[in-house]
Amino acid sequence: MPQMNMVQALNLALRQEMARDPDVLLLGEDVGRDGGVFRISEGLQEEFGVARVIDTPLAESGIVGAALGMSLYGLRPVAEIQFMGFIYAAFDQLCSHAARMRSRSRGRFTCPLVVRTPYGAGIKAPELHEESTEALFCHMPGIKVVIPSGPYSAKGLLTAAIRDPDPVIFLEPTRLYRLIREEVPAEEYTVPLGKAKCAREGGDVTVIAWGSMVERTLKATEGYRVDLLDLQTISPFDEEAILTSARKTGRVVIVQEAAETCGFGAELAATIAARAILHLRAPILRVAGFDVTMPLPKLEDYYIPSVERIRKALDEVLKY
Amino acid sequence: MPEMTYRDALNLALKEEMRRDPSIVVWGEDVALYEGSFKVSRGLLAEFGEERVLDTPISENTIIGVAVGAAMGGLRPVAELMTVNFALLAMDQIIDHMTKIRYMFGGQVNLPMVIRAPGGGGSQLAAQHSQSLETYFMHAPGMRVAYPATPADAKGLLKTAIRDNNPVMFLEHELLYNSKGEVPDDPESLVPFGKCDVKRSGTDITIVAYARMTILALQAAEELAKENISCEVVDLRTLAPLDAETFVASVKKTGRAVVVEECWKTCGLGGEIATRIYDGCFDSLRAPVRRVSGLDVPMPYSRKLEKLCIPQVADIVAVVKETMAAKY
Repeated sequence: MPQMNMVQALNLALRQEMARDPDVLLLGEDVGRDGGVFRISEGLQEEFGVARVIDTPLAESGIVGAALGMSLYGLRPVAEIQFMGFIYAAFDQLCSHAARMRSRSRGRFTCPLVVRTPYGAGIKAPELHEESTEALFCHMPGIKVVIPSGPYSAKGLLTAAIRDPDPVIFLEPTRLYRLIREEVPAEEYTVPLGKAKCAREGGDVTVIAWGSMVERTLKATEGYRVDLLDLQTISPFDEEAILTSARKTGRVVIVQEAAETCGFGAELAATIAARAILHLRAPILRVAGFDVTMPLPKLEDYYIPSVERIRKALDEVLKY
Repeated sequence: MPEMTYRDALNLALKEEMRRDPSIVVWGEDVALYEGSFKVSRGLLAEFGEERVLDTPISENTIIGVAVGAAMGGLRPVAELMTVNFALLAMDQIIDHMTKIRYMFGGQVNLPMVIRAPGGGGSQLAAQHSQSLETYFMHAPGMRVAYPATPADAKGLLKTAIRDNNPVMFLEHELLYNSKGEVPDDPESLVPFGKCDVKRSGTDITIVAYARMTILALQAAEELAKENISCEVVDLRTLAPLDAETFVASVKKTGRAVVVEECWKTCGLGGEIATRIYDGCFDSLRAPVRRVSGLDVPMPYSRKLEKLCIPQVADIVAVVKETMAAKY
């Protein structure tokens, strides 16, 4: 099996889906001639032409709005927002339109639309380029939120997202784009949406992470006996896998890169505690980013949950 | 203390502050000539003139963007969004600029601006005019978020918001505008940010709520008292900063908690509050923290369906009883 990084895996997923289904097309800022700011769509315009790989103006609301219209007419657009910090300009199209078209049309229309965007810290870019506000899109009924943690899941999840009948926000951890290489099948496959992956099986503590934090959490949990759940999809999230593990271990640590207050970890903690309180032997701990704007490069390493902070939380729940 | 409506209390806060400080300006869609869709800016144009009270085009991103620039330049703008639903069109200005600028400039500029935005559902205005989006602004570090339940809090919190050097999202519940209460007439009577208000003391269970949900929680507490269940109702008043100390202390005393939120449940602020309660009261809780929330769907138009989507007094009563009956 070939070894790939996440950029190559995503590129291959797009190439294969576009070859398989002529309705799949790409649009976004610099996705065509330039091949995308992170090279995810490299070579695709040459292969599939300017009608299927479309360079757009700098207008995120226009990108998502146009993609939404295309999806209503039967195409399967994959829109790229260059950095997650720019997605707020398209918030109204996502929340007021894409998310509720199925409900508004009583199921007559769905929006098979994927919005891909690089997210997260760790590449020493200024504030607006390191957002991790995935929780905002989990608080938006009708939208699915998918976050891969490595090349294998990136390819399988993106393929599944493109084939899904509903709008999907697909968040790609920029820090991991070229950090991890692993075996990725050359042929098509999907990783199902809504299912967590057990990245490590132990039994003393349930550790929950997603996207950019999975790699670091794997390192931090070396030497511990933990169930490490990589959620892969955070909306809808795999409640069954989470509760099964939490009931077994009675101890839970959640690792989240985003600012702590009202992040996705709060939803997880509240859900687990409500459904499994009699099994819990310690309070659920969140290891999270701080409630500040993503700092400039010098302070970035203090902001992102570190191996040390994750281990401290593990030790704390273990000795409670 | 004079009795007045929530609407008039907000109006009085604006007038008092504008008289005190000439750098305060008000703008938004229909705020001047028409005096606001909900008449909160009644009389402002007549008293302060068109240099300070401005009608804007229908362009929310611009309304907020201009306010951000004006605040950086030394004015204290109070921008009105006709409803909070339209904040979705201004999210780029709100999240990327308004909340981040003080931090990005290392404190070289202040951002003394307020967005006033009516919100909430219950008038059959359907999916795009009935939303409760408060949680979005709580997950935007740098932003302060106030959401009053009573006329007195409305006045005191808006005055604090206007005097604050940080950006504030000031939410007003559309169904509370006509509610009445006593309001201090002292122009220096302010309500601090980051302080919950215990609106009713009790011993059996804590109900944490905000804005209109506080009013419903108080009605539920009244009903439950007839069945000898003593509820403590904690009104958050500001959602950011969040005064966890007060509601955690209350739950430590009662051992049980129900959180009432009008917004969607998944990833709503109720999850954060429940989590803070578990953090602070893990060993003193006698039942799981329950959330009474809006349903995770776009708001339907039908009156019956809308009622199902928004927490009602009966829902709170039922969940409190279930929590009281839980054996742990």
